[in-house]
Amino acid sequence: MDAIKNKKILIIDDEPEIREMIERFLRKEGFFRIYTASNFADALAVCRLEKPDAAILDVMLPDGDGFSLLSSLRSFSDMPVLFLSARGEDEDRLLGLGLGADDYMVKPFLPRELILRLMAILKRVYASHTIERLPVFTLGQKTVDLESAVVLGANQGLPLTAKEHSILIKLYENQGRIVTSDALCQAVWGDESFGYENTLMVHVRRIREKIEKDPSNPVFLLTVRGLGYKLMTQESR
Amino acid sequence: MDSVIRILRRFVGSTILVSLLLLLFNLVLLGLLIFKEHHQMPSPEAVVQKISNGLDQEQGSYSITPEAMQLLDTNQAWAMLLSSDGRVLWSERLPEEIPRSYDVTDVAKFSRYYLMGYPVFVWEHKDGLLVLGYPENSFGKYRFDFLTEWLRSLPVRILLLLVCNVALALLVSVLIGTRVVRGIKPLIHGIHTLSKGEPVQVETKGIFNDLSQSINSTSRMLQEKNDALHARDFARSNWIAGISHDIRTPLSMILGYASELEEQPELSSEQKQQAAIIRRQGERLRSLVNDLNLVSMLEYEMQPLHLKSIRLSVLARQVVSDFLNNGLDERYIISLHVGDESLMVTGDERLLYRAITNLVQNSIRHNPGGCEIGLSTGEADGSNQIVVCDNGKGIPKDELADLILLPYTSGRIGPTRQGHGLGLPMVARIAKAHQGELILESDMGEGLKAVLKFPSS
Repeated sequence: MDAIKNKKILIIDDEPEIREMIERFLRKEGFFRIYTASNFADALAVCRLEKPDAAILDVMLPDGDGFSLLSSLRSFSDMPVLFLSARGEDEDRLLGLGLGADDYMVKPFLPRELILRLMAILKRVYASHTIERLPVFTLGQKTVDLESAVVLGANQGLPLTAKEHSILIKLYENQGRIVTSDALCQAVWGDESFGYENTLMVHVRRIREKIEKDPSNPVFLLTVRGLGYKLMTQESR
Repeated sequence: MDSVIRILRRFVGSTILVSLLLLLFNLVLLGLLIFKEHHQMPSPEAVVQKISNGLDQEQGSYSITPEAMQLLDTNQAWAMLLSSDGRVLWSERLPEEIPRSYDVTDVAKFSRYYLMGYPVFVWEHKDGLLVLGYPENSFGKYRFDFLTEWLRSLPVRILLLLVCNVALALLVSVLIGTRVVRGIKPLIHGIHTLSKGEPVQVETKGIFNDLSQSINSTSRMLQEKNDALHARDFARSNWIAGISHDIRTPLSMILGYASELEEQPELSSEQKQQAAIIRRQGERLRSLVNDLNLVSMLEYEMQPLHLKSIRLSVLARQVVSDFLNNGLDERYIISLHVGDESLMVTGDERLLYRAITNLVQNSIRHNPGGCEIGLSTGEADGSNQIVVCDNGKGIPKDELADLILLPYTSGRIGPTRQGHGLGLPMVARIAKAHQGELILESDMGEGLKAVLKFPSS
């Protein structure tokens, strides 16, 4: 964790108050190697000199825009970039993400959200040198191992099929929340998934047979009538 | 192009009508002016008949009635009666050079043409042949012989003549008509283009040049007005976008420091609460600014639409699920009824999602005591629709129309009660941007029914 707090963060924004505020929040959170720049040229210079590990970048700068700055940065650096923009239009969002930004936030923002997103980016980029593993979680007496795609019971292991596996991943990512049948179908069969609802029901039934004690009265994988399904794990209950 | 053909047809029709009338008129004139003989005297046939009737034999000598004598005098004509063997039985004013006896050949000759230069006419008398001679050069005598075949085919020939006339008239009128139409066509095209609001530049040559100039200047005027309107809309929309942009930085500071204060352990709980109020109001201001910007973009048709085919049922399920996932208060019961799974609309997913969310949010906000909210998708009157209805307290019927007006619009009565009042106007504008509409039905105590109609795709 501390390795992440060690990272050099560059804040680029033309408003000194915003720079100051973000810097203050970052310091409070434990970051201490923080650099700031107020314009395009300074930002490039700091990047060349200090080689920061991540940047929070404003789209509107007095001497150019954040998008072209990102393009220039990309020519010599792969550091993660979080756009912070006062323009919330979809075009800007898509342009920013399309250029290879790691995230895009619209002002006004809550500092907690900014920190969380920044941490998420840093973790993803710098802490994921270990191979990302799919989660293993327990449902009652059984353990679902998504990494090996098996459900481990008291005395036997039941393998999950590919479809069942993707359904469970999607449900686990949204545990405790309703996932619409459309979203599940899309996760499993892609965009042209209209008409797979009945097939989905069959797969859900098979998953229940593997994870539930009584598949007819499920307690973990619940049906929300007319909407979709919900996975209740120990944590979300 | 229809109008061009119509003009041509009318023109050709009237030309043919005019030429037919002209032909008829000419025939009548021909009868009246040409074939009516101009002298007041009776025709030679009538004269010879009268004289023949007025000539009688009494006791071996012939005498003529005074009326017949009178006729001879006025016509300066002479007369003789030939017996069946060719002798002159009786004569009156007979010139010297006229022979006194004739054989069959002579009679045949003069009855057809002239007798020694005198035009003569004959009539059968009970004693022979009456011959009436007019002065020389007073009449022309011509003979017509016709084949019966020719006579029989005469009506067909006359018909052919008429047809030829009509064909000629048709040809000429089409030629002239196309020339005129060619002159009018650019004008018609110009006016049609004008009505579509596109810029027009018509050739100003030809007989209609003043019309062309008018069309061109009208087009110019329209374009200028359109440009001015667009510029104004653009300025307004930009103004709001600018304000909403400029508000974001100070709002960031307010939200940031207020939420920091909220978490300060050394502050009293009252102070923390106050900080929380500042943060919440800041968040409200944020949503107001965002909504204001979106509504103004929609109002001035500057909101880009990312159109794709969306199934209404998917959208509705997503909205209902998200409300449930985000902890909908227990006072509200939300249900979904999907009529036809396959109903599609072409639209911007985010905007449509926003519209449905706003409708549900509206029902929640206006019924703080709780209510049942029902969503349904279906097809009616050829449009695909999504209905959001509640069984809450409803809205008086006469206030429904105001709900979709922007707040502070002239004409919108009364202050907006809860919320910022942009929710429903935004829904109405999103519907309009998708060529659809928002229909609200309600009355006091009847709940609110909001129908979003979209053209089926």
